[in-house]
Amino acid sequence: MGLHKLRLAAAVPVTFSSRLFLKPFTNTLTLGLFSRHLQPRNKPLLVRAFSASAAVQDIPATQTSDSSARPLWKAAIDFKWIRDNKEAVEINIRNRNSNANLEAVLQLYENMVNLQKEVERLREERNNVAKKMKGKLEPSERERLVEEGKNLKESLVTLEEDLVKLKDELQHVAQSIPNMTHPDVPVGGEDSSAIRQEVGSPREFSFPIKDHLQLGKDLDLIDFDSAAEVSGSKFFYLKNEAVLLEMALLNWTLSQVMKKGYTPLTTPEIVRSSIVEKCGFQPRGDNTQVYSIDGTDQCLIGTAEIPVGGIHMDSILLESALPLKYIAFSHCFRTEAGAAGAATKGLYRVHQFSKAEMFVICQPEDSESFHQELIQIEEDLFTSLGLHFKTLDMATADLGAPAYRKFDIEAWMPGLGRFGEISSASNCTDYQSRRLGIRYRPSEPPQTGPKKGKANLPATKFVHTLNATACAVPRMMVCLLENYQQEDGSVVIPEPLRPFMGGIELIKPKHK
Amino acid sequence: MGLHKLRLAAAVPVTFSSRLFLKPFTNTLTLGLFSRHLQPRNKPLLVRAFSASAAVQDIPATQTSDSSVAARPLWKAAIDFKWIRDNKEAVEINIRNRNSNANLEAVLQLYENMVNLQKEVERLREERNNVAKKMKGKLEPSERERLVEEGKNLKESLVTLEEDLVKLKDELQHVAQSIPNMTHPDVPVGGEDSSAIRQEVGSPREFSFPIKDHLQLGKDLDLIDFDSAAEVSGSKFFYLKNEAVLLEMALLNWTLSQVMKKGYTPLTTPEIVRSSIVEKCGFQPRGDNTQVYSIDGTDQCLIGTAEIPVGGIHMDSILLESALPLKYIAFSHCFRTEAGAAGAATKGLYRVHQFSKAEMFVICQPEDSESFHQELIQIEEDLFTSLGLHFKTLDMATADLGAPAYRKFDIEAWMPGLGRFGEISSASNCTDYQSRRLGIRYRPSEPPQTGPKKGKANLPATKFVHTLNATACAVPRMMVCLLENYQQEDGSVVIPEPLRPFMGGIELIKPKHK
Repeated sequence: MGLHKLRLAAAVPVTFSSRLFLKPFTNTLTLGLFSRHLQPRNKPLLVRAFSASAAVQDIPATQTSDSSARPLWKAAIDFKWIRDNKEAVEINIRNRNSNANLEAVLQLYENMVNLQKEVERLREERNNVAKKMKGKLEPSERERLVEEGKNLKESLVTLEEDLVKLKDELQHVAQSIPNMTHPDVPVGGEDSSAIRQEVGSPREFSFPIKDHLQLGKDLDLIDFDSAAEVSGSKFFYLKNEAVLLEMALLNWTLSQVMKKGYTPLTTPEIVRSSIVEKCGFQPRGDNTQVYSIDGTDQCLIGTAEIPVGGIHMDSILLESALPLKYIAFSHCFRTEAGAAGAATKGLYRVHQFSKAEMFVICQPEDSESFHQELIQIEEDLFTSLGLHFKTLDMATADLGAPAYRKFDIEAWMPGLGRFGEISSASNCTDYQSRRLGIRYRPSEPPQTGPKKGKANLPATKFVHTLNATACAVPRMMVCLLENYQQEDGSVVIPEPLRPFMGGIELIKPKHK
Repeated sequence: MGLHKLRLAAAVPVTFSSRLFLKPFTNTLTLGLFSRHLQPRNKPLLVRAFSASAAVQDIPATQTSDSSVAARPLWKAAIDFKWIRDNKEAVEINIRNRNSNANLEAVLQLYENMVNLQKEVERLREERNNVAKKMKGKLEPSERERLVEEGKNLKESLVTLEEDLVKLKDELQHVAQSIPNMTHPDVPVGGEDSSAIRQEVGSPREFSFPIKDHLQLGKDLDLIDFDSAAEVSGSKFFYLKNEAVLLEMALLNWTLSQVMKKGYTPLTTPEIVRSSIVEKCGFQPRGDNTQVYSIDGTDQCLIGTAEIPVGGIHMDSILLESALPLKYIAFSHCFRTEAGAAGAATKGLYRVHQFSKAEMFVICQPEDSESFHQELIQIEEDLFTSLGLHFKTLDMATADLGAPAYRKFDIEAWMPGLGRFGEISSASNCTDYQSRRLGIRYRPSEPPQTGPKKGKANLPATKFVHTLNATACAVPRMMVCLLENYQQEDGSVVIPEPLRPFMGGIELIKPKHK
C-alpha cells in the first residue's frame, strides 16, 4: 500500500519529518502552493458493483500503490467522528469485508491535525514578529527580526505545501472507508441475508416449460444473434410485442410511482466520470463496469442513480424542498467485466437495458422511513404483476461501500430454476451526499443558541440519499415470459400492463 | 492525395511497375499473401453527417494524405466498378453536382491497373499449369531441369504478383469508397437554396401575445433542466422533467402505434455497435470532426441513429424475395458529438448530444424503393399533420445529399421561438449504397429471363436490396415545435389531441405552484 510506513510515524509523518524540521529555511516557492501537486492521479479506493455482489470490494492493494496522487474532488468525510468511533468503524470494515485501512486513515488524520497546529503556531509567530517591527527598533534588532520573519515565512510556505499533500493523501486513503451499517443488518456473507417477506409461490407447470430465450425466439421477440454481429455478445434487439411490453412496463411503472409523489425524469446517459466516482462507483481500472468515452472524461451511466444523484450536486437545499423524490427512466450500460461465470444466459445479464429508478433526497431522520416506502413500492409493483418473490435484508458482506442498508428483491425465474435479483433498494445515508456536496439548511435554528456572525442561520447538514429499482426491464421480461407462458407457446400479459400496450392480452406465435 | 501520380501511369501503376517487370523472380514469400498488409489503416474517404448539412463532404484532402498505398480496408464494399467505368461521364457529373471530393480518375486508373494485373496473374497461372502439364510426360533430364527452373520462377513471380494484386484491390477499395451514390434525375442540382418544395402544410400560427421560446417554457413549466446537466455531463445535455417525460413517452408511443398500422415491425436496438457497421452505413466514426462517440479501449461506438443497428440486422445475408419488403420502426437513444456545430442553431433542444428517436427503415427490391420512399414521406407528413404542425417537405438539392442518399426529402417545421423553419425529419432512399457495404442481398423467386445457367442448380442470381431510412419522431425537435406552437398566453402549453390518450389524458401543461 505504500502506507504501512506511516504507522511508524509519530506526530508527523516520516516522509515529511526530515524536511520539516531538519532542512534550513531556504528554497522559497512563490508559484502558489498547489501547482506542484497537480500530478495525474490514480482513483480512490472506493468501489461498488452495480449488482449485489460484494466481491468487487476486494480490489488488490496494488491498484492504489501510488499514494501521492491528488484527488480531483474531495469527500467531506467526518474524520473526527471516525476517530471518536474507531472501534465501531473497525468492526464495520471487517463485517463488510472491506479493504479500507483504518489505521492509515487515523494516522494520517493525526499527522494532519498536528501539522495544521504547527502551521497555525508559525503563523502566529510570524504575526508577532510583524507586530514587533511596527514599533521603533535598534537597527540590529530590526535586522534580526527581518531575518526571523523571512525564515518563518519560508518555513510556512513549505509546511503549508506539505499540509496540502497530507490532506490529499488522507482523502485518497479515507475514501475507501465504507458507510456504517444499520444495526439490524445481518452480519456475514450472502447466505446470512435475512428474508423480510416472501410473496406467492412458484407456479406449477403441467407441461415442459421453455426459458425466456426459447420463448423470445419462438415468438419472434428477442434477437441476440444479429446483435452479436452488429454490437457483440450480450447485446439484443427487442422485436414486435417485446417492444410494446418494454414500453408498457416503463409507462405503467412511472404512472404507479408518480402516484406516490415521485417526479418523473429522463436523464443524460453520458456523464463526467467524477460524478460516477462521487456516487461510489469505480469508472476506471481493469474490472470496471463502466464504459468510458474515448478522448473525454465522460462515461456511460450504469444506472440513473448517477445522473439523478448529480442533479443537486454542490448545493444547499431548503428544508422545505425536502424530500425530493424522483422516478428516472434511462438506458443503462455495463461492461459486465468478469461476469463470465455468473448466470449470463439471455436477458439476465446484458450490456444495455432500460430501467426506471427511484431516488430520494431527504433529511437524515427520514431516510429509514423512506427506505421502507421504497421497498413497499417495489413489493407492490411486483405483487401487482403476480410475481413470486422474496425481499432480502442483505448481509454486511453483500453491501456496496455507499449502502447503510440494502434490500434486494429476488423473483422466481422458472427457466433459470431459481430466484434471480430483480431490484435493489439502498439507503446510502450521507455517504453520497458527502461526496456530491448535497446539504440542506434546517428551517428552525438549532437548540444551541444563535451563533455570532452567521446571521442566526442554522448550520447546514448533509442530506440522506436512497435509491431503488422500480423496473429493470430485461429481468422483468425474464419473469413475465417464463412465468406466464402457456402450453401452446403463447404468453399472457399481466392485466395491469394491458392498457399500456393497446389492450394486448396474449403474445401469440406468429404464422409465417 | 498521394494518388495524382497514378494518373500518369499507363497500363500498370508506376508504383508497381518496377517491381512487376524489372525485378528478377526471387524473394519468395511463403508466409501467406495477406500478412504483410495488415498494417493499421486510415479510414476510407466516405463521410456523412447525421444532419442535412453537406458541408462534411468537403473533408480536407490532408485528412487522407497518408493514403500511403498500403493501408488495408477492414471490410469491402461490393462496388460495381464495371458500371462506373461504363458510365464514367454520368459518375463524373454526379460527383461534381454533389460537391463530393471523390477522385474518379484515380478509381478508374486503379481499376484498369487491377484488371490488367489480374489478367497477368491469370496468364502466369496458365503458363505454370502448362509447365506442370509438360512435366508429367517423359523428358530429357536437361529439359526437365529447365522446366523445373521455369516453374519455380513462375511460381515466385506469381506469389509476388498476387500479393501486389491484393494491395491494388485494397487501394482501389480505399479510393472508391468515397464515390457517392448516384442521384435521382428529379433531384434539383445545386446547394441548399436549390432544394425544391414538395409540399407545404398549414401556416405559421399568429400569436396575440409575446411568445416564449421552448427554453423559457421549459424553465417556467419545470420541464427541462439544462443547467444541472451541464454540471453532471457537459453542455448540450439535458434532463426532462414532469410532463416533458410523459410527452416524450407519448410521442414515441403514438408514433409507434401509427407506424405499426402501416405494417412496420417495432424494434429496440443496441446503442453500442462495432465501428465497422457505422462505416458500412456511410458514416465516419473517426477523425477530428466525427459526429460519433467511441468507446474507450474497444472498436465500438455509440449510435447516432437507429438506422445503423437496423441496417446491420440483415448484414451479410441473402434474403428470400418473399421476405421483402422488411419494414421496421426502431426506437433508440441517439448520441452525437456535434463537433463543429458551434456556429449552427444550437440553442436549447435543437442540437443536443443525446436524444430519443423513432426511425423507420425499409429493405426492399430495387424496383420498389421509389414507391417506398413515397410511402415513408407520406407517413411523416401524416404524422406531422396530425400534430397540427406547419411544415414544408423539401426535395433536397444534390450538394445537400450525404454520400449514401440517392434522394432525400427533409421536412422542416415552423419553430416560433427560432422564428424560422427547422429540420424535424429526413427520408432517404439509399438504393444499393448501404446494401453493397453491408452485404444484404436477396434471391429473386423467378429465374431471370436469360435462361438457366449451368452448375448453379437453376437458382436465379442474387441481387442487392435497396435500403431506405426516415425519421418518424426525433423527440427534442418535436418538443421544440409542440411547446413553442402550442403555448398559451397564461404560459401553459396545450397537448395536441392525438397524444392525450398516450399521456393519461393530460390536455394542458400548467405552470406549477410552488
